[in-house]
Amino acid sequence: MAATTQAAGTVITARDLVKRYGDLTALAGASFEVARGEIFGILGPNGAGKTTLVEILEGLTRPSAGTATILGLEVTEQPVEVKRRIGVQLQASSYHQYLTLREILELFGSFYPRRADPLELLRRVHLEDRANARMRTLSGGMRQRFSIVAALVNEPEVVFFDEPTAGLDPDARRDLWAIVREVRASGATVVLTTHYMEEAETLCDRVAFLHRGRISALDTPQGLIRGLNAAYRVTCTTSAPLEAAAVAAIPGATRVVQEHAADGYVLRLRAAAAPPVVAALTAMVERAGVTMLDLAVEPATLEDVFIAVTGSEWDG
Amino acid sequence: MLTLLGASVKMVARDRQSIFWALAFPMIFLGVFRLFSVDSARTTALLVVADVRTEAGATLLAALQAVPFLDVEVRPGLSEDAALAVLQERKSDAALVLTAGAAGAPASAQLITAVNDPVRNAITVAAITSVVDRANLALTRAPQAIELHARSAGVHRTTYFEFLGPGIIGMGLMNFATIALAGSLSRYRSEGVLRRIRATPLAPWRFFTSVVGAHLLVAGVQVVVLALVAEALGAHVLRGGLPFLLVSLYGTLIFLNIGVIVAGKVQGRGAVEGAANAITLPMMFLSGSFFPTSSLPAAVRPIVEVLPLTQMLHALRGLALDGDSLLDHWPALLIMTAWVVGTLLIARVTFRFADD
Repeated sequence: MAATTQAAGTVITARDLVKRYGDLTALAGASFEVARGEIFGILGPNGAGKTTLVEILEGLTRPSAGTATILGLEVTEQPVEVKRRIGVQLQASSYHQYLTLREILELFGSFYPRRADPLELLRRVHLEDRANARMRTLSGGMRQRFSIVAALVNEPEVVFFDEPTAGLDPDARRDLWAIVREVRASGATVVLTTHYMEEAETLCDRVAFLHRGRISALDTPQGLIRGLNAAYRVTCTTSAPLEAAAVAAIPGATRVVQEHAADGYVLRLRAAAAPPVVAALTAMVERAGVTMLDLAVEPATLEDVFIAVTGSEWDG
Repeated sequence: MLTLLGASVKMVARDRQSIFWALAFPMIFLGVFRLFSVDSARTTALLVVADVRTEAGATLLAALQAVPFLDVEVRPGLSEDAALAVLQERKSDAALVLTAGAAGAPASAQLITAVNDPVRNAITVAAITSVVDRANLALTRAPQAIELHARSAGVHRTTYFEFLGPGIIGMGLMNFATIALAGSLSRYRSEGVLRRIRATPLAPWRFFTSVVGAHLLVAGVQVVVLALVAEALGAHVLRGGLPFLLVSLYGTLIFLNIGVIVAGKVQGRGAVEGAANAITLPMMFLSGSFFPTSSLPAAVRPIVEVLPLTQMLHALRGLALDGDSLLDHWPALLIMTAWVVGTLLIARVTFRFADD
């Protein structure tokens, strides 16, 4: 067995992981650690290297450089042993269309020395009455729930979910979050990639932002938001436009945008602290003699962190 | 491994497209070809222009009507040109025009065949010549020096449908193995099933062994079902027995490997099925599923003879039609072994688990 260099309580260690496809560098040196029992989120825009990173950890893709260690095993050296102890849900993968759910779970279970009872697994995601149904008769949400539970056939110690809620409606997404939390409660460590900032914020203990193949930020969601110098979003609707340059000059206000909407002129900005910016804004409205129709102050979210980290708007 | 094999068999058996190629497609061919009666000899429609009131005319007509191969129609008084016109319109295959000779001179009989078909014409001319000779003897009351007795020793001649039986079974196995396997592997790949399997500790060789093994099991059932249907329809393939089944499955292994290669080399499901068809369709005709390869031009025969289906069909026909043993077909088995090994090696190198 490969000598373990992992600290106690650490289940995943990625060290300077690089992946090149010809001239394209998908991953430019990613390093991080995941502790036992964490829900660890990997966020980033399309093409940031999320799937490449996860596939290296799963033993599906060989890194061009760097090492990945899972449960004390080096992935490139002992891929089979690693695969026995991890669970994998792949993005956009499906299961045999001519087998029933129960048959698929029995089949996948047969690949592992340790296996869970198929019916018990289906019960965990409320699909027990669909045990004898085939994949194509399931709704999108049911399929996602099934693909989650199919990652648990071997009672894995570490589970990877790649975009588990992509394309689902909000209700189905909340159902899945509950299932992911249960997986963690049962003792597994969870690594998930996601497109949805809200998902990362409510579900993950820690979040890594991947940008252009590198990890550009890594902390708890709250830690990342606190670390912003613009912790609040201020939205102010007025009857007539304000002078944008004057608004941008308010101390502590950044990213000022004003646009004409159906119900007035909407001004959006970010503020490091809400009270002084709101006071300055209110004074400016009075001086200009326009009417303030609406004012909203919201705490910043991971989306703001994403914008700060990548310098671009989030389209997810 | 048994769970995996069981699941693979279920997947093949529940896939309607696979079952179509395995059973329905060859059965359609067996049924359609059974409808044609290629083997029964066609009669020759003979137009007789003669005055049957004369002794010569009556004797000749009676002799002609006694020949089962001839379908005689008498039109007295028709001119030779009018008889020719009947032939031109293809209403008759041949015309025999009898004209009485001048007093004392022999009558003249003109035989005109319609289509430029040397073999058929030779048979017609020979048959009618012998009839005319016999009529001459009868009319001149000459004694017969030699009397001919013709009979058959009853040796079984292979009918076209019997020839076809092993051909269609071989074709069915090839189509099923290549098209259905290439189709399902490429579907597994495009749907991400292969990638998902690769994320498990299952060794790739076990996966392939189970998929190929499942197709072989289904092919075994396919051979038995098709052989029973062919036998019921009149192609005597069951004489081939167990060696027939073994050669069938050995050949299927080659076509399964080809299916894996096609799925590995070609991207996209539609393209994969097209490529598989592009391989099986010419081979189905060239390798002699429907017609003997001996009727192909000499220039292409060396190529045709190394095709796996050609060798497989030689062996299958020898076993089913001629009562040969497996050892009699060692050259065919040797060539097939080269194909099994060669395609296996190529399949190993070319297969990919994920679309690029």
